[in-house]
Amino acid sequence: MSVLPWLVAAWLFGIGLYGIASSRSFIHLIGCLSVCQSSTYVLLLGIGYRWGAVAPVFYDHPPGTPAVDPVVQALVLTDIVVGATVTALLLAMALQVDRKYGELDPQKLRPLVAKARR
Amino acid sequence: MNWPLDLVPLPVAIPLAVAAAMLAVSHFLPTRLPDVLATLTALAVAAICTVLARQSQLHGVLTYWFGGWAPRPGVVLGIGFGVDPASAGFAAFIGLLFAAILVFAWGYFDETHAHFHVLMLLFLAAMVGFCLTRDLFNLFVWFEVMSVAAFALTAYQLEMPSLAGALNFTVTNSLASFMMLGGVGLVYARAGVLDFQALGHAVARDGPDPVTTGAFCLLAAALMIKAAILPFHFWLSDAHAVAPSPVSVIFSGAMVGLGLFALAKLAFQVFAGSAEVHALTHGLLMALGAATAVVGGLMTRAQRHLKRMLAFSTITHLGIMLTGLAALSATGLAGLFAYLVGHGLVKGALFMLVGVLLAERASVDELGLYGLGRGLAPAGAAMALGGLLLGGAPWGVLDAGTRLVADAGSSAAGRWVAGAVVFGTALTGATVLRATGRIFLGLGPEPDPEEAASPSQEEQEKADRPLWLMLAPCLLLLALALTPGDLAKRFAAESVGPFAPVLAGSTAALAHTGRATMLSWMSVALAVAVAAFDLGRAHLPRPLLAAVDALSRPLFLVLGELHSGLVGDYVVWIAVGLACFSIYLAFG
Repeated sequence: MSVLPWLVAAWLFGIGLYGIASSRSFIHLIGCLSVCQSSTYVLLLGIGYRWGAVAPVFYDHPPGTPAVDPVVQALVLTDIVVGATVTALLLAMALQVDRKYGELDPQKLRPLVAKARR
Repeated sequence: MNWPLDLVPLPVAIPLAVAAAMLAVSHFLPTRLPDVLATLTALAVAAICTVLARQSQLHGVLTYWFGGWAPRPGVVLGIGFGVDPASAGFAAFIGLLFAAILVFAWGYFDETHAHFHVLMLLFLAAMVGFCLTRDLFNLFVWFEVMSVAAFALTAYQLEMPSLAGALNFTVTNSLASFMMLGGVGLVYARAGVLDFQALGHAVARDGPDPVTTGAFCLLAAALMIKAAILPFHFWLSDAHAVAPSPVSVIFSGAMVGLGLFALAKLAFQVFAGSAEVHALTHGLLMALGAATAVVGGLMTRAQRHLKRMLAFSTITHLGIMLTGLAALSATGLAGLFAYLVGHGLVKGALFMLVGVLLAERASVDELGLYGLGRGLAPAGAAMALGGLLLGGAPWGVLDAGTRLVADAGSSAAGRWVAGAVVFGTALTGATVLRATGRIFLGLGPEPDPEEAASPSQEEQEKADRPLWLMLAPCLLLLALALTPGDLAKRFAAESVGPFAPVLAGSTAALAHTGRATMLSWMSVALAVAVAAFDLGRAHLPRPLLAAVDALSRPLFLVLGELHSGLVGDYVVWIAVGLACFSIYLAFG
């Protein structure tokens, strides 16, 4: 396997972290979180990939044909479902924040939070 | 002799099925029925897990393969649950905690059509699955289900502090799950299997390998985010402080502890054969655990919002538990088991007492509640007992755990570990005792009315709950926490062998050393002294106060600033934590 997917995965994770750390809007922040998550897709698919192999469907191939690893593909599918759930939940919360306070910048919301934490 | 095996999937399947059924017919259920159903389900889970724990004690580890996909020689394709006494015992404890909390929350959210109970049952099923699974990817799935239920429960009130806390919690813990998935992928890339036992063999066979070590780092960092270990701990105080009281009980009592429980499983069952992982755990994790205990103790003392105070106390105790884990010995592991349960019982009871104060006196602010606890004598006595137990009083399960952990830590890394344990234990106990004195006895200087007038949150929990119904589960938990320590130690020590086959042959050192008893008394004496100092400021010589304040004020100021409440800062700290791992691996 080439080293490229590993580098891409590391880059995506790092740039996503940077985006979250510097974000001034919750919507942008949630997008950055999805970028972080896509690094795991790249990593997993890279791990399971075999050069010159077919998709792991043996309907029109004889058993024993080299195929890419179906386990990691199952992992990625599960991960996508999970990611959709979390993103939906986060967006719903961001929507509530916006509806109640008309503001989505974590920095500007800080005084509200600090008052409650004292 | 097959019936115990048939029980294995039930503690997960029953709550899931009941939750689904309840959601489907939630509009037609009479008001009280969801409470009763959910409580009975939690009790059933506790009962089944207790039976499973007993059976696995008698007959060895029970392994259940879903769909009959038992492994063939050399190929492990199926997903299994592995039931050993420690896992089933902890699952039973979780079931019990849920039952207690559902009684506490009786009629808590009556206008919301049982959604609270559905989320709680989903949460319960995920936690039990997380305890029992023996498949790395399955572990990730339960981790996710647990997290999503927890996110939704935190944001339940849809007000500003809870939404902000829930957003921080969701973002940091989602990053944790991505890191976990990355770790799962890396370890699968090398070993080609996901079953714990098969992975353990593969890791031991392959020898030193940077990919395997990297996988452990990612998995450990993910679980340490869940378990709120320095520098990954920031989300916890935000989330626990804003979640509804019954949910905070579960968070502090069981969910965060589960992070360490899973980390122990990985360290002892999967990565036991890797020398690098061994060195990393012994060195870095031990240091991080001790640092967490110290910083958490200081932060606890600086709080006046009771829920945040207890949240930081939880962080402290998680640090102490991590030192027990990082000792990688039978004594440390037995200590971790006892500590997990003991801490869960005491902290659960304390969070319930804060809920009682919120319901009866409409505030969770230590100064705002000054002297208002008169008339709630049983709650005051319970809180004082909880404070003493947190502070290391030599009774019960928590103390048994503390002794074992302190012993294991000092013999693995040196006396300083025991020092950190005593420091953290004493400060958390002292803070709870201080709050008890202020609230229930009206001790200490009367706070400035200006400062105390505003209750720190406009949290509206239902005020007409009968007091006894809230106090009964709380007192039950405290009574269980006072189970004789020797009994707890024996069960914990017997569970070590089946949990960690790699420790076979070494047994936990249970003998009471004089030093351990001295440590207990020392920390409880220190706790009482610090509480007395805080409450008796008016009667102390001025130069002493000035000296203490000059020393401590800058420290508390810096620590307070670091806990900024901004999710961006927390993510930077996560990156710093990951960097710590790589620096330690490169130079350590």
